[in-house]
Amino acid sequence: MTASHTVDVLLDDTLLTLNRAVGVLRRRNLAVERLAVRPCGPTGISRMTFVLNTDAATADRVVQQFHKIVGVRAVEVTTVQNHTTEEQP
Amino acid sequence: MTEILSGAHILCRTLVEAGVDVLFGYPGGAIMPFYHALSEYPSLRHILVRHEQAAAHAADGYARAGGRVGVCVATSGPGATNLVTGLATAHMDSSPVVAITGQVSRSMIGRDAFQETDIVGITLPITKQNYLVQDAAELADVVRDALAVAQAGRPGPVLIDVPKDVQNQKVAFSPAGVGARVGAQHAAPLPDDGVRQAAELIAAAHRPLLMVGHGVILASAYAEVRALAEKTGMPVITTLLGISAFPEGHPLHLGMPGMHGEVHVNRAIQRADLIVGIGLRFDDRVTGNLAAFAPHAQVVHIDLDRSEIGRNVRTAVGIVGDAAAVTRRLVAATAARNCDPWRAEIEGCRRPPDASFRGGMAPEAILTAIRDATAGECTIVTDVGQHQMWVAKLFPYRRPNTHITSGGLGTMGFAVPAAMGVHLARPGEPVWAISGDGGFQMNMAEMATMVQEGLTVKLAVFNNGYLGMVRQWQQFFHGKRYSCTPIWSPDYVKLATAYGIPGYRVQEASELTDVVGRANAEPGLALVEFVIEQEANVYPMIPPGGSLSEPIEATV
Repeated sequence: MTASHTVDVLLDDTLLTLNRAVGVLRRRNLAVERLAVRPCGPTGISRMTFVLNTDAATADRVVQQFHKIVGVRAVEVTTVQNHTTEEQP
Repeated sequence: MTEILSGAHILCRTLVEAGVDVLFGYPGGAIMPFYHALSEYPSLRHILVRHEQAAAHAADGYARAGGRVGVCVATSGPGATNLVTGLATAHMDSSPVVAITGQVSRSMIGRDAFQETDIVGITLPITKQNYLVQDAAELADVVRDALAVAQAGRPGPVLIDVPKDVQNQKVAFSPAGVGARVGAQHAAPLPDDGVRQAAELIAAAHRPLLMVGHGVILASAYAEVRALAEKTGMPVITTLLGISAFPEGHPLHLGMPGMHGEVHVNRAIQRADLIVGIGLRFDDRVTGNLAAFAPHAQVVHIDLDRSEIGRNVRTAVGIVGDAAAVTRRLVAATAARNCDPWRAEIEGCRRPPDASFRGGMAPEAILTAIRDATAGECTIVTDVGQHQMWVAKLFPYRRPNTHITSGGLGTMGFAVPAAMGVHLARPGEPVWAISGDGGFQMNMAEMATMVQEGLTVKLAVFNNGYLGMVRQWQQFFHGKRYSCTPIWSPDYVKLATAYGIPGYRVQEASELTDVVGRANAEPGLALVEFVIEQEANVYPMIPPGGSLSEPIEATV
């Protein structure tokens, strides 16, 4: 059953680490609904947030792949079943 | 004590301090400062390959046989891109390789300069980590970091791209002592009761199997796996990269599973009610159609890489950890039992070995001759294709980690260069590189490297005049249209002679023992061409995407 999975990734603030992280999504050809990267907490750390609309097993596999990236500090998933969102104007 | 050194010297110094003793490489414009410095470091032996792909495969072979990092070096642009196949091979098979590439100077990057390529971008998906070094002051830590990352956790390749002006840049250098940073490799371990649950499943199972893969070799968990098998009586299956992790002659050893696994092995999987998998990833060549794989079995999966647990097969118990450490705990937690009725049931499915191979120059006869000539003590490096499967199924491996092949990527051309690395990691031990006529011709230029560097490898070519495995697929699945698979070969004996190597051709089975014995006894290199049946097939075969229950078998 598909659900909306919001994945928060804390990672080193370097282009290579970010590139490698995005590559995990690209390689699996996953439909990413939103993606944002912003500075977070201490200097040199970024927070990357993206939303996947997929089943729990796929979301878990993505999370496990993110854990393997050198430079990724933490990965957290929030899952919302049957949620409704409204586009902001 | 701090010294002022160029980036090139820092590269060399950090490699020496890490205990690196062999580099496989090829010089070129953007890596010349490094090569200029290298001549001042006699403890770093450089092997000049004939193509950078061979450097990466040789470093990979060195890493697999030696259990330590293999290092390869190339220049920018084409030199770097030629490494790609070798790095992808190492990535798929979890081999610790560090590649050092030259890059155009920093001021030229992004300007399509001569021999400029974004090798860091190109290798992102096939490396564990890679670096573009922007300042020589970072270089020592990057090299130390790269060597640590390549070996930490599940091993893999790492690439360091060093612009030419960074190699010439002079900065302060401090010898070792700086702690290498290793990134977040390991997710939190799974609950600790996994071992207890696994032991309970083993105790309750009627038809359990132990499947072991490359992780057992990487962790040297041979004694632990053997203890688990012998305590529980579980039959043992070794995947392609797990071959030699368990003695082939052991009464509990069944063989290789999957696409070319023996019928009784695949039947055992399909009938099993429990599979304990250690250090394998249930790759599609092992499982066939996943929906039909081991339909009655619960799976206990032990792996160092948490992302592999549950990735391909549904797992009842997943245990994340080193194969040796976890298996040791599992042996302690498991009650002694036997599986005699189950083993008898499996034996009932075993096919006589001579049903598959006929004719005098059968692969079995060739491999028996190699075994006899080497007393079974050699390391065999195989390429990819029919000969690879014959070796995997028929060679009676006795010592751990003596079977080295390209598994995940299936890289033709791997055997000859990888065998150079195996020889250097195990000097004095016999090494046979076995290839088909297709794969051998991909990297046969490395014979020159072996001659120049004095490397002792025995080269075997199984010549059937076809790209045999592709031809076999054409026979089975493409209406016998042998499109573009007949392949011409040079006269291998004359070719060997041109390189100054003793060359032999065997066409009759009666010559096998004598010729293989003479080739093996040569003090240096030797090449033996085995002229085999043109349309021999590897049986049995599970059609791609098919169920393990539906093999194509030889018709006798």
